[in-house]
Amino acid sequence: MSENKFTFVQMKEDASEHIAAPQYSYWKSVFRQFFSSKVAIVMLLIVLFIVIMSIVHPMISGYDPRDPGFINDRSMHYIWPCLEFPFGTDNVGKNLFDAVWAGTRNSLFIAAMATLISTVIGVIVGMFWGYSKKIDVFMIEVYNVVANVPFTLIVMVLVYALGGGIWQLIFAMSVTSWISVAYFIRVQVMIIRDREYNLASRCLGTPVSKIVTHNILPYLVSVIVTSVARDIPSYISYEVFLSYLGVGLGKDVASLGQMIQTYSPYMLSAPYMFWLPLIVAAAISVSFYIVGQTLADASDPKTHMN
Amino acid sequence: MKKYVLTRLLKSVISILLVVMIVMLLLFKMVSRTKIFDQDAGYKKMQGDAKTAYTYTRWEELGYLDYQTMSDMCTNAGSEDTTACLTVGSDEQQRVVDQYAADGYTIQYLESGMPFASRDYTMVELVWNFLTTFIRVDNPWYIQDPNNPDLERKYYLSTTYEGLPAIKCSGCLAETQIYIDGSFPFIHQNVVELNFGNSFPTNQGVPTMTVIMQGQGTPQQADTTFPTGVTQPSSVNLNACKYKMTSTLDHLDTTKFDTNYADCALNYKDPSMASTSLMFGLMSLIIAYLIAIPAGIQMARKKGKLVDKIGIVYINFLIALPSLAFIFLVKQIGNFFGAPDKFPQYGFGDIRSYVLPIIILALLNTASLMTWVRRYMVDQTNADYVKFAKAKGLSQSEIFNRHILKNAIIPIVNGIPSSVVACLSGSVITESIFSIPGMGKMLPDAIKVVNNNMVITLTFIFASLSILAVLVGDLLMTVIDPRIQLTAKGDTR
Repeated sequence: MSENKFTFVQMKEDASEHIAAPQYSYWKSVFRQFFSSKVAIVMLLIVLFIVIMSIVHPMISGYDPRDPGFINDRSMHYIWPCLEFPFGTDNVGKNLFDAVWAGTRNSLFIAAMATLISTVIGVIVGMFWGYSKKIDVFMIEVYNVVANVPFTLIVMVLVYALGGGIWQLIFAMSVTSWISVAYFIRVQVMIIRDREYNLASRCLGTPVSKIVTHNILPYLVSVIVTSVARDIPSYISYEVFLSYLGVGLGKDVASLGQMIQTYSPYMLSAPYMFWLPLIVAAAISVSFYIVGQTLADASDPKTHMN
Repeated sequence: MKKYVLTRLLKSVISILLVVMIVMLLLFKMVSRTKIFDQDAGYKKMQGDAKTAYTYTRWEELGYLDYQTMSDMCTNAGSEDTTACLTVGSDEQQRVVDQYAADGYTIQYLESGMPFASRDYTMVELVWNFLTTFIRVDNPWYIQDPNNPDLERKYYLSTTYEGLPAIKCSGCLAETQIYIDGSFPFIHQNVVELNFGNSFPTNQGVPTMTVIMQGQGTPQQADTTFPTGVTQPSSVNLNACKYKMTSTLDHLDTTKFDTNYADCALNYKDPSMASTSLMFGLMSLIIAYLIAIPAGIQMARKKGKLVDKIGIVYINFLIALPSLAFIFLVKQIGNFFGAPDKFPQYGFGDIRSYVLPIIILALLNTASLMTWVRRYMVDQTNADYVKFAKAKGLSQSEIFNRHILKNAIIPIVNGIPSSVVACLSGSVITESIFSIPGMGKMLPDAIKVVNNNMVITLTFIFASLSILAVLVGDLLMTVIDPRIQLTAKGDTR
């Protein structure tokens, strides 16, 4: 065997650095998964349209529910939906298109704020609740008191005691709902906390706060997205429901529920007045729900394998 | 187990009281107390001193504050010269007023110059007043009538006026303590009574519990034979008679009654708010289970097939749609088929009034039920015993109906009482939309007219129903599946 049949190969520095596993980016996969659903894309477009309209349109129209409008001009009353008034006008000549978007803005704002507050508090409390047994003993008793009482009852009584208004409603909704978010997170944390990598972490002396934020929190992203996806439509429904009963937003604030209530006597004589706000409320809630659910599914890393 | 149930019960009672007290403090301390007169027509017509006196009397009655008129103050301070004490500007009056002011009372003056004192109850006093008055246990020494010193004090076995067995009492507030009759819930008691104060401004002066529990509509007349033997058409319920002080007993009473128990409640044509809500709730729950369990089973059996997909769309639709929109949608469809628009259109007597609300309440419940039935069934299909059954050659339907269902039904049973709770919140809106005179409609109505005592009463009822429902659900689960133990064993970190 002669030596010249072999040549020395230079060691490739960059090849040794190369990792054989396929490239994986969590958020990229989430979005790829999300946009693979056509229904979700359509619903997302509807959501975007609703959000943009509800922000921009009230700014242009400057709708104010206290404004008497064309109350004395009878020709402006009860105009059926047409090009000039896409949603028609009501019994005092108000443009319903303006009213619907102003109401939508308030509904969305309330739902978004209530979800944000209850999720942030709920996740923070829930993580420590799930991790520490001492906190658990105390919190589970608090939870038993709060969770057993119908949410509707608490919100109604609170809004009543605080007085109707946007911030009061947000407070009433988030003051009790954070605990159910926290409970939800607690269960998830309890499942994850005793896995081997966390045991190892504990043995190496990692402080609890670091284990919670670095080891457990990333696992919870999809769980949190699921909870948010469920909360936003339910808060929208709640606002509509409470305002309809007359215990939510007062008469001075535009709201879809209030409109549905005010116009329900016209269900037969001028059905568009009643059904249009109801349909808009349903459309908002359904589109947010579907987008949220799809996003929640997509944010679960298990779905990224295919 | 017994110990566990006892602790759970104790905890439940504490939670209920806690919730009620929090609500009470919220209402008494945060809702402006002038708001309670917003719906009071009489108040608007009053002026000057009469209005001030009326305002403070009402506030005292509703438990906001301790109100002392000048004559109260004179009596309580032990003034010897009452005439001087009641004279505006006298030294004696000044002494009494100063004494009250020193005790922490706020002294105000009427237009006539007459002073009066008031003191807001602190939070602790509010809670204390509530706790000391809210349960009343009837006993043979309850009645203290100065004009009737020989009143016997005893319990005795007797019959009701329909001839059914009853425990009666002499010396108690209510004559018939425990009795049986033909109407729901068949065994009635007058021993323990919950007292949440009087309703105001709607149903003024009537205790809130009476408003909720008493029949509605017009009194029902029937030929009644009174204890003295007189028979005449009347609507009194002879099983619900209370003691009437001898000083207030009139000739009409003595012709009908041979004892002092002459203050009787009336029979009404229509059921009470509580039983109306209860009936709607129970009926809709039964229907919800009849729909949801078979539907959930079908979905689980045909997982991933068309039936399953339709079911999932239905569930998502129901969850995503605001309940208001859903109720109006179903109502519109129902109206199309000739169902009445509002409950009072045909009233209690007609079955058509019930159909639509019950269907709506039932459908509102089905979504979560179906999800859970399907979830549990699907989870069970992967269990080892199912694989074993398959290997043994059992048919698909045998496996599902005999084996999986039995295991999957356990959490469903646990959830039954919680659906009662879900029914409650559903009933608030459904009853409002259909104008059904039940407790659900009463809550927003009471809130709108600032009827604080009524809100507290309803909070108590709803909270205790739901808390006890959860307890019952847990206990039911242990009955059905003996493997489940509620008391935790071992350390779970």
